[in-house]
Amino acid sequence: MFYPLTVVVFVAALALMGLSGWYAARSRLVDDRLLLVGVVVELGLLVQLVVALVHLGDVAGGSSEQATFTAYAVTLPFVLPAAIFLALKEKTRWAMGVVVVGAFGIAVMTARLQQIWNLGG
Amino acid sequence: MADRAPGRPGEQPTRSTRSGPGVVLVALYGLLALAATGRSVLQITEYFDRAPLAYVLSAVAAVIYLVATVALARGDRTSRRVALAAISVELVGVLVVGLASYLAPQAFPDKTVWSHFGSGYGYVPLVLPVLGLLWLRRTGRSPHDGDGDTAAGGRSVAA
Repeated sequence: MFYPLTVVVFVAALALMGLSGWYAARSRLVDDRLLLVGVVVELGLLVQLVVALVHLGDVAGGSSEQATFTAYAVTLPFVLPAAIFLALKEKTRWAMGVVVVGAFGIAVMTARLQQIWNLGG
Repeated sequence: MADRAPGRPGEQPTRSTRSGPGVVLVALYGLLALAATGRSVLQITEYFDRAPLAYVLSAVAAVIYLVATVALARGDRTSRRVALAAISVELVGVLVVGLASYLAPQAFPDKTVWSHFGSGYGYVPLVLPVLGLLWLRRTGRSPHDGDGDTAAGGRSVAA
């Protein structure tokens, strides 16, 4: 996998997690700044999806590792829009909790993606 | 969608399971559903013969998390019952499998979401059903608490 991209996505997801956590503490709702960080994460995930699909053949292990790898890469871009959708409809500070959970999930799944990739060494 | 505007007493006897803290619960369930599904697909397609019991349980857990996520997100009356059933099964599952994985480790050579009380997932699988049941109870009992307040004080007025 393209390692710098993974780092960018991972760091951006953590930044989003931190920002939304801070917003939750301040009782703030989704605003442009939060969406901007979200867009960065989302763009990274989309590029990652393309890179993952192009290099799918290089994934070590059997076909099931490739299947899991694809499943993670394809699922990842859907997580944030779903979280933002839920967060926009909820007009309390709990909305930010959804973004925190979503961003955390993205960070973990991105790390997992890299882990599967590294199986081949 | 399913939830109506607050301020119409009688039409919405219970608070939506998706409002306030409930929306975070929905997100957590969704995340766990993803995690459990991913794990069980890999386990079943690749290593099924190694630990059939553990892997079937992983798949069952995945389905239960999916059902609970959807039911909590919908939050109408039928969904509440579905959520209650799914979360109850989940609580029993994590307790039984958690205990069994300590008492009979040879039956669980590989991990499931629920083994060792969900320690591989930061014990979230153990805590989540308890929160889910409390939340269902709370939203079901406080009809006049309708508009997603931020105060999470557990003021459950026993009828």
